[in-house]
Amino acid sequence: MIEFRDVTLGYGDHVVLDRMSFKAQFHEKVAILGGSGEGKTTILRLVLGLVRPDDGKIFVNGHDITELSETQLRDTRMNFSIVFQEGALFDSMNVRENVAFSLREYTNYSENEIEKRVRSLLKRLGIEDAIDLMTAELSGGMQRRVAIARSLAAGDPRMMLYDEPTSGLDPLTAENICKLIGDLSKGEPPDRPGFIIVTHKVTDAARVAERFMYIRNGRIVFDGAMDALKNTADAELRSFISELHVA
Amino acid sequence: MRDTVEQMDYMGTGSLFIVVLVSLFIGMALSLQISAELTALGLKMYTGRIVGLAIIREIGPVAIALSFAGRVGSGITSEIGSMVLGHQVDILRVHGVSPLKKLVTPRVVSAVLMLPVLTVIGDAVSLLGGYYISVFVSHQSGSFYWSQIRDIMNFKNIFSGIIKPFLFGYLIACISCYMGLSARGGARGLRKATTSAVVISTIMIIITDFVLTRLLLFALGERV
Repeated sequence: MIEFRDVTLGYGDHVVLDRMSFKAQFHEKVAILGGSGEGKTTILRLVLGLVRPDDGKIFVNGHDITELSETQLRDTRMNFSIVFQEGALFDSMNVRENVAFSLREYTNYSENEIEKRVRSLLKRLGIEDAIDLMTAELSGGMQRRVAIARSLAAGDPRMMLYDEPTSGLDPLTAENICKLIGDLSKGEPPDRPGFIIVTHKVTDAARVAERFMYIRNGRIVFDGAMDALKNTADAELRSFISELHVA
Repeated sequence: MRDTVEQMDYMGTGSLFIVVLVSLFIGMALSLQISAELTALGLKMYTGRIVGLAIIREIGPVAIALSFAGRVGSGITSEIGSMVLGHQVDILRVHGVSPLKKLVTPRVVSAVLMLPVLTVIGDAVSLLGGYYISVFVSHQSGSFYWSQIRDIMNFKNIFSGIIKPFLFGYLIACISCYMGLSARGGARGLRKATTSAVVISTIMIIITDFVLTRLLLFALGERV
């Protein structure tokens, strides 16, 4: 389980997160919604210990990770896989090398075994033909798929973290990525891997998530299921999710 | 190791053209200035000695380090900075790979090894440029020019000239990597980090050169 307890973080005078608290089980399908610059990506980076809060505590599996060293954080990070916005692929490597990256770092597999696993992952995500392409040659949707393949290569995460996985994609590709996200978290709780998706695209979040949080001014102003989200009394949030009513 | 070799190629082979070009014109300009001044004093036969000393001990290492900071330093900062902003550095950390080992160490090692090599090449080209001006413009004896260069090729002069690029390379790489890893705030932040890396490297090269020169004169027992 992940728990944020009164987490505060700022850059200079700008407060990004203001005493934020929430809990999420690994098997939950959570969408964190909010406008640009509301600190959505920062939440994912905090979960992984990539950035430390100015104040407050973050617990993963009951362990406070805010004081852990980079080496100690390695075990905590094994619980998660992250897909950053735009994929964050290494542009000096081709698709094969990007996906094999974590296998080379984490495992002692032979090159043959790595090749087999990379091909199997790419096949599962429907992009086996792109194995020799450089990342600059990939479309936006393919880049996200390669990023997901790379994140899965390290092992079986208990929870996936998606940072704006559909931003910049056309509606059809975005729908395919949402379908893929749903497929990767198939199963019944508590055995299935869950996810946290941060996005400002409400309709995409609605396709995949079961629990929704809305952030404003560094605080969670809404936390609930789809029905509650649709019937919220908060005027600004109603405006934010207006696409849902149209749909 | 692969990263280090890749960086050595980028820093060494990739910088060769600019180093040769800059060194050639510095050698020729220096030779022109010095021979003009010495001609007025009736001492133009000493052009080779003064040009050689200036290039080997001072101008060569500093000018090439400044070119290196402009080309390689800015490249390091913009590359690492864009990796920070594009979350590739986060991905390294998530996969348990230290950005210091993966990104910083290969660049520092390569800069420390390649800048001295480039300096030796640049010094040689500058001396050739000086030779061209001395012989074909100032009408001096080419063999006398080289005999004076040979005279100044002693341990003190060579050591003073070759020790500097090791330190300059270390400084440029460390400053550039640090600025890259500190980049924040999108394209504007990257521009600021890159500019800062070049400006700070330039200032540090000039100051360090003065301090090193003072120390080396003292250590090698040379009187001022």
